[in-house]
Amino acid sequence: MDTLAIATENLTRRFGDLVAVQDVNLRVSSGQFFGFLGPNGAGKSTTIKMLTGLLASTSGRIQILGLDFAQHPVEVKRQIGVVPEGLALFGRLTGAEYLTFVGRMYGLDRETTAKRAAELLEFMQLTDQPKKLVTDYSHGMQKKLALAAAVIHGPKILFLDEPFEGVDAIAAGTLKAMLQRMIARGATIFLTSHVLEIVERLCSHVAIIDRGQLVAQGSLEELRTGVEAQGDAADAQAPAKLTLEEIFLRTVGGARSAEQELSWLG
Amino acid sequence: MAGLSAASVPRGQLGAIAALRWHLFAHSLRSRKGALELFSRIVISVVIASGGLGGAILLGGAAWYFVSRHKPEALALLLWPVFLFWQMFPLMASALTETIDASYLVRFPLNYRAYVLVRLAYGALDPATVLGSLWLVGITLGIGWALPALLPWAALVLFVFALVNLLLTQMVFAWVERWLAQRRTREVFAVLFFVALLGMQLIGPIMTRYGERSGAAFHTAGRFAGPVQAVLPPGIASRSLAEAAHGRSGLSAAFLAFLMVYFVAILRALSIRLRAQFRGENLSEVSGSSRTRAMGAAVPLGWRLPGLPGDVIAVLEKEFRYLARSGPVLLTFITPIVMLFVFGLGGRSGSTGFLQHWPQLALPVGASYALLLLTNLIYNTFGPDGGGIQFFLASPATFRHVMLGKNLAHMGVLAVEVAVLTIGVSVMYHPPTLRMVVLTMAALLFAAPINLAAGNLLSLYSPKKTEFGTFGRQRASQTTVLASFAIQAVVFGIAGLAMFSAIYSSRSGLALIAFVALDAVAVLLYISVLRGVDRVAGRRSEVLATELCN
Repeated sequence: MDTLAIATENLTRRFGDLVAVQDVNLRVSSGQFFGFLGPNGAGKSTTIKMLTGLLASTSGRIQILGLDFAQHPVEVKRQIGVVPEGLALFGRLTGAEYLTFVGRMYGLDRETTAKRAAELLEFMQLTDQPKKLVTDYSHGMQKKLALAAAVIHGPKILFLDEPFEGVDAIAAGTLKAMLQRMIARGATIFLTSHVLEIVERLCSHVAIIDRGQLVAQGSLEELRTGVEAQGDAADAQAPAKLTLEEIFLRTVGGARSAEQELSWLG
Repeated sequence: MAGLSAASVPRGQLGAIAALRWHLFAHSLRSRKGALELFSRIVISVVIASGGLGGAILLGGAAWYFVSRHKPEALALLLWPVFLFWQMFPLMASALTETIDASYLVRFPLNYRAYVLVRLAYGALDPATVLGSLWLVGITLGIGWALPALLPWAALVLFVFALVNLLLTQMVFAWVERWLAQRRTREVFAVLFFVALLGMQLIGPIMTRYGERSGAAFHTAGRFAGPVQAVLPPGIASRSLAEAAHGRSGLSAAFLAFLMVYFVAILRALSIRLRAQFRGENLSEVSGSSRTRAMGAAVPLGWRLPGLPGDVIAVLEKEFRYLARSGPVLLTFITPIVMLFVFGLGGRSGSTGFLQHWPQLALPVGASYALLLLTNLIYNTFGPDGGGIQFFLASPATFRHVMLGKNLAHMGVLAVEVAVLTIGVSVMYHPPTLRMVVLTMAALLFAAPINLAAGNLLSLYSPKKTEFGTFGRQRASQTTVLASFAIQAVVFGIAGLAMFSAIYSSRSGLALIAFVALDAVAVLLYISVLRGVDRVAGRRSEVLATELCN
């Protein structure tokens, strides 16, 4: 039986009267490249924030690598890496200073931190302007630095919130290379993204959240079979495999009538 | 472009900006924190307005006296303090000072004139401007009371004087911000400052050495200072009023024109910076000629401080790097030394500076002021981190260690400041006695832990994102400012009482024991708060992320 890297039990988060996430039961096995999808406002970021300790849950349980997050927050945080939505960078440090800071915060000694930081900066191609402050980095450079910081301590699970948003093809290639290397070495990656092609190419398993509730979860093949088993697929008269985008749209019912009047737009 | 009327755009845009501010204000009241902010703002505004009105009455009375006694030239004695306050206050009390971060306006089709208007309108809401304006109104009314016919002219001259003040503050800040944005110019600025400081400190020994000749030198300096002040804005404005009071309207108009030349010159200098900002300039560490060179990833080893955990050292190192890269913050740090010099001025020329009367108080006064300025950072310690707060929330480091690292950094800065102040006091006045050094340290050991404890809590309860690199954007939450006032009143009240009783009573040993007891209580309070910060941070994580990441 698979070891569970991430498991949630009736995970719920309310903001006043609004239920952002309701009774979510996630199961992510170790070593999986897991995509977490959903329309805007579905509860993806809220869920990932709860899974990484950035936001407390209203009720429910989170287990990371078998440890209860509420009981062992520090132990859990030591084993995970996070690239949150806002990247969580310190703008007035240089890239090397930032990585040094992060390494020390995760308990690495000075020598190991310096060695890994140097390797990561090389790998991410961030060595051109060593005195440049993070605040002056381009968006793609900041994403690469945030990913470097998230992995410097060698986490067993990596959480990524929209890692490819606003990133050019070259930077995206570097990020993907890094992630695939991590998967090859047995790490678990949990990512949210709106770019379904990337998720389809990278992820082995996917969960879809809609209006705060988990509506699908499993391997891509399982999801495809599930959607096809529903009557809709039968009259689609297309024997070809459904893409993730089609699975997603059918699951969350995203098709909208495009007959809106915006005549002034020319 | 249908529906886009060029003539209507600026007014519509200004209206939209005003409406935006109103909506932001109204929406902020939805939360309890917003309501508390409003309450704090009202209390602070009442305090400022009281100071403004009180000052206006005093200055108005003085203006009435000078004009009715046919000494209108003496109005310069009123206009100079107003001028100096207007220019110095924003630097001395940046927690109360706010300039708009107008960069967000640049993406809209706002014309340059509207952009400038918005910038100036925000500057007009500054406490220094409000107080300065109220005081000038008081002076105007005082002049009018003494000589009713002069009222319209006085109003015009002092209105132009107010505009000069308003523009000069913004111009100086805009240029200093530009100079301090880059490491090279920052270093040049620091060297110039220390050379100037050294030069000032040499005045004392030189005068002592040359004895009587120094008195003559001061007379010469005085004779030189008179004409110099006469060609600066306060001197020109008072001269214009004096000439009008003597019935020499032609000369008065000429001096007003001179004042307007200043206005235009300052506006031009400000305009150079505003135009650059309007074009979307982004001040950065790397200059346009970018020192781009391919270099290997040489990563220096982090700091090593025996006895401290790695995460505490990491935070400490990061804090020092941040402080060293913030021109405005560095400028704030040198203010106590400047103020020490300013308070000591005059004594040598025969008049009386406060610290010339009580030179033994120079060290405690300077140290208190240094701590007071530092509270700007201590009370909103996550403000400069902005989105970096997410890292602290997600990292395995406890908030106790994060706070400890930050507190140690701030105390390190205070220690350096006190050391420099001690040297400054020794050169400017005389070396402080051992008793005074011990008492000052005892007072700091009481005041600093309490401020750190309060700062740690307020940083979690009332965080506000700040921008380290630019002037006027380090403003703390108004709730924090109000709480800070109350805490300082109590802390400095108690410390001052203990200090004075130690200095002036025959039982100074008893006062020292009292200080030791106070220090113990303060340290225990600090430790107790530090132990609880993880619990508070856990409860406040959502607020921290919302306030600091957006």
